[in-house]
Amino acid sequence: MPSRDLLVAVDIGGTFTDVTLQDAATGRAWTAKTPSTPRDPSEGFIAGVTQALAEAGRDAAEVARVLHGTTVATNMILEGRTAPTALITTRGFRHVLEIGRADLPRRDNLWAWVKPKRPVPPGLVFEAAGRIAADGSELEALDETAVRDAARAAKAAGVAAIAVCFLHAFANPAHERRALAILAEEVPDLARTASVDVLPVVREYERSMAAVLNAAVMPAISGYIARLEARLDAAGVAAPLLLMKSNGGVAGAAAIRRAPAQTALSGPAAGVVGARAVCAAAGVADLITVDIGGTSADICLIAQGEIGLTQHGRVGPWPLPLPMVDMVTIGAGGGSIARVGTDGTLTVGPQSAGADPGPACYGRGGTEATVTDAHLVLGHLPDRLLGGRMVLDRAKARIAVQAVADALLLPIEDAARGILAIADNNMVGAIRVVSVERGHDPRDFTLVPFGGAGPLHGCALAELLGITRVLVPPSPGVLCAQGLLAADLKAEFSRTVAEALDGADRTRLEATFAALETEAADWFAQEAVAQADRSTRRVALMRYEEQGHELAIPWPADGDLAVLGADFAAAHRALYGFDLPDVAVEIVTLRVEAAGALPTPASSPPLGGAAEGAITGHQTIRLRDGAVEAPIIDRVRLGPEATFAGPAIVTQLDATTLVAPGWQARMDASGALLLTRSA
Amino acid sequence: MSSCDPVTLEIIRGAARAAQAEMEALLERTAMSAFIREKKDFYTALFDADGAMAVGSDLPIFGDIVGPVAERFPIETMREGDLYWYNDCYGSRGAVSHSNDQVFLAPAFHDGKRVGFVMGWAHFSDIGGLRPGSISPDATDHFQEGIIIPPSRLMRDGEMNEDLLRTFWRNSRFPTQSQGDTRALMAAVRLGEKRLSEIAGRFGPDVLADAFRQLLDRTEAIVRAKLAAIFPVGTTRFADTIDTDGHGNGPFTLRLALTRSADDRFTFDATETDDQAPGPVNLLMHPDVPGMALGLYVLQGTTGQVLNAGAPRAIDAVHLREGSLLAPRAPAPLGLRGVTMMRLLAALHGLVAVAQGGQAPAAHSAYVVIALRGMAGGKRFLLSDGIGVGYGARPFADGTDAVYFVAQENYPAEFMELTYPVRLRAYGINCDSGGAGRWRGGCGVVREFEVLADTAMLAVRIDSVVNPPWGVSGGMNGGSGGATIGGRPIAPLSDGNMLKKGDVFRIETGGGGGWGHPFDRPASDVLADVAGGFVSIEAAARDYGVVIRDGAIDAAETEANRATRPASGLFHRREYRDAVA
Repeated sequence: MPSRDLLVAVDIGGTFTDVTLQDAATGRAWTAKTPSTPRDPSEGFIAGVTQALAEAGRDAAEVARVLHGTTVATNMILEGRTAPTALITTRGFRHVLEIGRADLPRRDNLWAWVKPKRPVPPGLVFEAAGRIAADGSELEALDETAVRDAARAAKAAGVAAIAVCFLHAFANPAHERRALAILAEEVPDLARTASVDVLPVVREYERSMAAVLNAAVMPAISGYIARLEARLDAAGVAAPLLLMKSNGGVAGAAAIRRAPAQTALSGPAAGVVGARAVCAAAGVADLITVDIGGTSADICLIAQGEIGLTQHGRVGPWPLPLPMVDMVTIGAGGGSIARVGTDGTLTVGPQSAGADPGPACYGRGGTEATVTDAHLVLGHLPDRLLGGRMVLDRAKARIAVQAVADALLLPIEDAARGILAIADNNMVGAIRVVSVERGHDPRDFTLVPFGGAGPLHGCALAELLGITRVLVPPSPGVLCAQGLLAADLKAEFSRTVAEALDGADRTRLEATFAALETEAADWFAQEAVAQADRSTRRVALMRYEEQGHELAIPWPADGDLAVLGADFAAAHRALYGFDLPDVAVEIVTLRVEAAGALPTPASSPPLGGAAEGAITGHQTIRLRDGAVEAPIIDRVRLGPEATFAGPAIVTQLDATTLVAPGWQARMDASGALLLTRSA
Repeated sequence: MSSCDPVTLEIIRGAARAAQAEMEALLERTAMSAFIREKKDFYTALFDADGAMAVGSDLPIFGDIVGPVAERFPIETMREGDLYWYNDCYGSRGAVSHSNDQVFLAPAFHDGKRVGFVMGWAHFSDIGGLRPGSISPDATDHFQEGIIIPPSRLMRDGEMNEDLLRTFWRNSRFPTQSQGDTRALMAAVRLGEKRLSEIAGRFGPDVLADAFRQLLDRTEAIVRAKLAAIFPVGTTRFADTIDTDGHGNGPFTLRLALTRSADDRFTFDATETDDQAPGPVNLLMHPDVPGMALGLYVLQGTTGQVLNAGAPRAIDAVHLREGSLLAPRAPAPLGLRGVTMMRLLAALHGLVAVAQGGQAPAAHSAYVVIALRGMAGGKRFLLSDGIGVGYGARPFADGTDAVYFVAQENYPAEFMELTYPVRLRAYGINCDSGGAGRWRGGCGVVREFEVLADTAMLAVRIDSVVNPPWGVSGGMNGGSGGATIGGRPIAPLSDGNMLKKGDVFRIETGGGGGWGHPFDRPASDVLADVAGGFVSIEAAARDYGVVIRDGAIDAAETEANRATRPASGLFHRREYRDAVA
């Protein structure tokens, strides 16, 4: 039997499927790039895996695990392509999705806003009598006949999935469980979801939406996973398939089939985990990540190596309050289009040229100026990308940016700088929101730009934020794969307790934690995590009485409630600038966070030498105070401790880094490129 | 004076929006009253160094916020670290129009130079007064509507006037909530002040000042140009009516006239509006409000524009009559001014409809608020529930269903039952409340409560019952709301309705008017509305001519019904007509 040391990470993008193969024992890695196959992504998936194995000259039987980040669920939700789905709800609440939170967004115009179409039309929402009270007691028995009738009617209407959400199910799931059992009898062939299995927390609209979205993506995700497993099996890969969840951890395919909505932020979460891993290797624990792709930028703050989670996430117009990596997404990317309105206003994004036609300089028919075109006009990009496989058309970029410049009555370079300044500023605003919501000063952090367009913006964003350190990961364009390789198995188990801190029943709280830890143990067993690799952490979600938002406070080692109270007050002060000593504190929810450690592959150091030997040419960069000649540096030729000063352009296969004047660059032994400046 | 280039202008606008988002996030996360943290009745704005609102919220009800403070505390005497506060309606000429709304204002400085102001605004749930919640249909005097804070300096040189705060909290029936909300609002304003100072530091105070000036000028220019495109030279008139003041008086008619002169000056005149009401439906309308409201309407679809004090500048003169419903004399009660405000906003669209031959949104219902107060488990409770209504259909889309107002959210049933001694028996769409039309008016909602407290007193506020929201361009009027206790109707604008444990009360809210003739609505859309519980089978046949049998359209009968179309008119309220009041 061969040794099983190979890890396979597969990241499927809009254009290419990237596969990274890594030998966990030696750290040696191979990558393969194959065209994505949007109609059935599993085709490109297996083609990439096969190609990577062939390039490495390794056998499929050597694969220890296959890791995958998927955007299948996200794209279905965003594009409204989810399966026809029905919802069964409590009698009297048929319009729970239609009404929502009556939430006309704060930044939308009252008279212009049009309500988005719900993922389940009201004609496919069915009511069943039966009532659980807020304290979990049963007020009225479930009308099982109504559930049965609804199941049959929904099936007759042609749905592929049914979600169930009853009022106060988070306090007592008995009615939902019974309804699911009835559905299993009546419609065994349809996908089925109970709200408590997705999200056992208060607020019926948000929970209904989570259940509905989960059910609606279930048929497709289930089929997708089945195809992946069948293709892996046929290719001789007998290793487990693990998928990235929105919380930054991975889970086995079986768990994802039950709760596929957990993958809604799978791709971006993988990038954040990858950023944390490459930073950890370079000894950096406090970082702000900016993942800039073609149409959007994802921003995330990591303090002391800890990736924060939020329960206030959204996917498109819908709330999806599952535990997700706490990040902000804005419509600013390399393909964001710059336009001048009839009133003379310059805006950048959220419209994007995407990958097709792409920026004007791609020469695929795009004519509007994009962020990438502005970079090219200013000399931030070389003419050739992807190791020469892609040639940029500088003349087309100039024509597009010139049109913007003419409308603004500005010289072309000022217009290009303006486009970049607006895109940067949008990102800075989002970074500030991420920072303040978590009570941090961005100046204490290292900025980690990644994604294809990220490293072009690193220095500019850092300067705007007062940040003096930028870390560019070894492979900024394929960091998701790094994240997949570095991720642990993760799951959260929580229960609403709603208890005043003063006079709280410690025995009861301990018992609740113990019960949650039992659930975690069951999950560890299902995922086959060895005892030594298991870890759990207790967290209390707390607030002042009558507040609406909770803070997550780690449970004190000895369970001392006085310490817990003091920790909460300190966290409130740090985050919001004040605390309220006279006001009672509540423990709303207890949570156990479980992690199953997966072995981290060894890393391999950079192999090149000094910066002088890495210069492949020179290029003119157009700065505000004039043009300067900057060296073009080939990153793979840089060795440990190689240093150079900005301005410089650093090229590599998957991204281009702009080192601005005033910045010093140093190649770290971990392979990361560290940029610093004096404050 | 440095000028701000177009790129920097866009950056400063973005930075101001980000500062607002941060302030709002802080407020939402730390406030205590459900009215702020669940319903989200709060707003923020940034002002230039002279106090003109440069970046506001998309809310058409703001007047001159800084002026009332500056009158008492001259702007040039203000210092870094100052914090100002008021809720004084008559003392601010309607900048605040009911006393529950607290305005906190701080000047922002950079290098010792004043660069602007920052506002945080939030509705406090109880500030004393006649009844819990401070707003009651029973009020006959503004002094019954809670403690009045004239423009005051709450903080000077880092020193807080704690006694003023203690006095304010002492006047609330829910002092802990009041304290928590005050702290949250103050922290949000301090954060905004810091951000505005940073923006000034980054670009320079002169560039910031020029940016604010450009934002104001740009909004004024766009609003002026759009108004000129809508209104012909001459006077356009529209009038509409609110049902009652809750004290047996009414109806009250708002009469609006907008005049465009040959040299494109705009004059808004509401002097022919009826006299002020003895009950609390008076709207102390700041003269900036018509410009703000029309500004919000005409800024639809413009990217990168902000609603600010430039909009009211597009109206050259505003004439109101003292003693009228829109300019009441102190101390006329003001608590339910929302009823009149919502009717006023629809009436402004009525002006557009008259000028543009019906190319305007139909009328919406006034948002509904109920207050349930009593004792439960030995503790006093106050449930103030803002309930959504239907908005008017538009020439391009259906009216919005079940919305209260900009950015304000409902209370989830589960939240209510965890927090208050009530059970929500039903919460759904009020079928047939959306006015029929090519574009259907938004539907109101049904909310049915069971009382779990031993006793409680209910106040309800529902307007547009006698005079339902009008339809336009062939669209029909929206449906009326109503309230019942145990199936018995109660006065839609009333307080003092006594309830006991087990009583069931039901609130139905009205819908918006329709736009365009209902026969032009695709039959498949009508079928979907019937399947979804928005339109009944009967109304589908009666109003839309669409016959539905066994869940399918009877095409032949529908076609026959739609072949003959009775004459319609510009507006519709119970019948087609050329004017509604």
